[in-house]
Amino acid sequence: MSKRVLCKFFAHGACLKGEHCEFSHDWKAPPNNICTFYQKGLCAYGSRCRYDHVKVARLQSSSPSSSADISFPVECLSGIAGYGPGIASGVTAEHSASSGPLCHPIRPAWGEKTGRHDLLDDDDNDGYFSTVDPADRPICSFAAAGDCPRGENCPHIHGDPCPTCGKQCLHPFRPQEREEHMRTCERRKKQLEALRHSQDIECSVCLERVLSKPTTAERKFGILSECDHPFCISCIRNWRGSSPTSGLDVNSALRACPICRKLSYFVIPSVIWYFSKEEKQDIVDSYKEKLRSIDCKHFDFGNGSCPFGTSCFYKSVIIFTSVLNLCYSKFSLGHGGGVVEKFDLKIMFSGQLLTFNSCKIRKPRAVGLDNVDWGFKNHAYRDGRLEEVVIRHLGAEDGNTVIAKDIRLSDFLSNLQIR
Amino acid sequence: MVDFARVQKELQECNRDFEVSGIKVIPTSEANLAHLLGTIPGPSATPYEGGTFNIDITLPHGYPFEPPKMQFATKVWHPNISSQSGAICLDILKDQWSPALTLKTALLSVQALLSAPQPDDPQDAVVAQQYLRDYQTFVSTARYWTESFAMVSSLGVEEKVQKLVEMGFPEASVRNALESVGGDENLALEKLCSC
Repeated sequence: MSKRVLCKFFAHGACLKGEHCEFSHDWKAPPNNICTFYQKGLCAYGSRCRYDHVKVARLQSSSPSSSADISFPVECLSGIAGYGPGIASGVTAEHSASSGPLCHPIRPAWGEKTGRHDLLDDDDNDGYFSTVDPADRPICSFAAAGDCPRGENCPHIHGDPCPTCGKQCLHPFRPQEREEHMRTCERRKKQLEALRHSQDIECSVCLERVLSKPTTAERKFGILSECDHPFCISCIRNWRGSSPTSGLDVNSALRACPICRKLSYFVIPSVIWYFSKEEKQDIVDSYKEKLRSIDCKHFDFGNGSCPFGTSCFYKSVIIFTSVLNLCYSKFSLGHGGGVVEKFDLKIMFSGQLLTFNSCKIRKPRAVGLDNVDWGFKNHAYRDGRLEEVVIRHLGAEDGNTVIAKDIRLSDFLSNLQIR
Repeated sequence: MVDFARVQKELQECNRDFEVSGIKVIPTSEANLAHLLGTIPGPSATPYEGGTFNIDITLPHGYPFEPPKMQFATKVWHPNISSQSGAICLDILKDQWSPALTLKTALLSVQALLSAPQPDDPQDAVVAQQYLRDYQTFVSTARYWTESFAMVSSLGVEEKVQKLVEMGFPEASVRNALESVGGDENLALEKLCSC
């Protein structure tokens, strides 16, 4: 049965087992993305986990190729006692060890074997689950994985089929879980599809398929911001990094797309290629988002200067040591220090006049004006954006805003030299 | 390091559609893929029509991130190609190179250069001056050079042998020399002279 599940390694383009892999290398096969840790009760990744946090009745992935295959004969040929106790005891041990959300009053499919037969004998199995809230009842994991051999006779709820993956894994009584599954399933399907389409894309420099390169680091596309020609990240970076001394023109050759010669100022690495403008935008945005959280090493908190200036993608935070000149044109104060709209800040910094136009100060809650030692902990960007101003004590650790008492912003501003 | 995997692919790709483009690239020796010989046909409706021009290609260390070094092995009379050394003045082989270009596309560009000379940006000042001042003479000189240097292969082997024997070389050594240079009459002559 595991042959039907898509091989994770294959999906990433790197299954070493090739034809001998016990998992499917067919893109049509459904991926198995049920989180095993969640099944055991605790997944450290929580909502960020890349696998589905779906409750299945049994530890499905504990050993998909062996235990699942054996369990059926046991269930069907219930007369053979030889198998029974061994497996049942193994499973109960497993379950008692895995405390947590899975330990429902219901016994798992395995341990329930004998019970179920008793019930069948008594012809009374309808009443078995009736005392339990349907939302607490797990859905049948076999049906969720694709096929339940017990069909109509299965004691567990069979989930509704998911419109995306087609498996019966939507719990009829847990709307939240249903939605989550459908969302992740859709996203995953999209991503797999994109990955599949990306397989055939060739880099125009090395003339090889990007996702067939030997190392993971090489299996990445380098997307140019201004055009849609595919390259692998190493090739395009290599080209753009060529030294201008080799006689090549920087702007018309090196920074340009090797194919269409359109000038692009940056390259975005991505593991998948895009097939629409929106997808490209998504890739670009998430890349920029990631960089924005990293401090610019050239800027060095204002001590250095970044050659990319205002187009730098990294976080350039200035920690001001002194505010010499603060100009504000229009601003309106909320009560007790609200949001200031349209606020211009001019600051002498390292002998350089920095101007930030139309900044916002969000809820300045800093204080203690009798003390001159005040500075700004600014998320001030070189392009004049000032996203957030937190006024903080200079002696305080980064991020630890010392709050002595609430003050009005107007009080604070009036104490500064204003021109 | 030269990306030999790419060079291999390029050679295959280029020689596959030889029938259509007439452009051929072959390695000069099996062992060294960094030294190649390209062949382009002279474009029609030009004085170079009917000629087959050999271009010596050396791949630099950084290929494909550096342009390949190309120069004519066959003598050509053209404002942008040195009549002495065969050096080519073409932007894509210098500052406008792009790694997406291949040996084939570069050779196609050279072929296009043959049909569209740029006398304002000359490599060979003498030729360029002639081109601008006396176009008729330029055309006939170019034609003459094409006929005498780029069309040797159109003559039969016997005719070549005949021609060289008439120059006063012994027939046996003429045949040997012709064979060793692959039938090129001029190279054979050079070889015979240097002996």
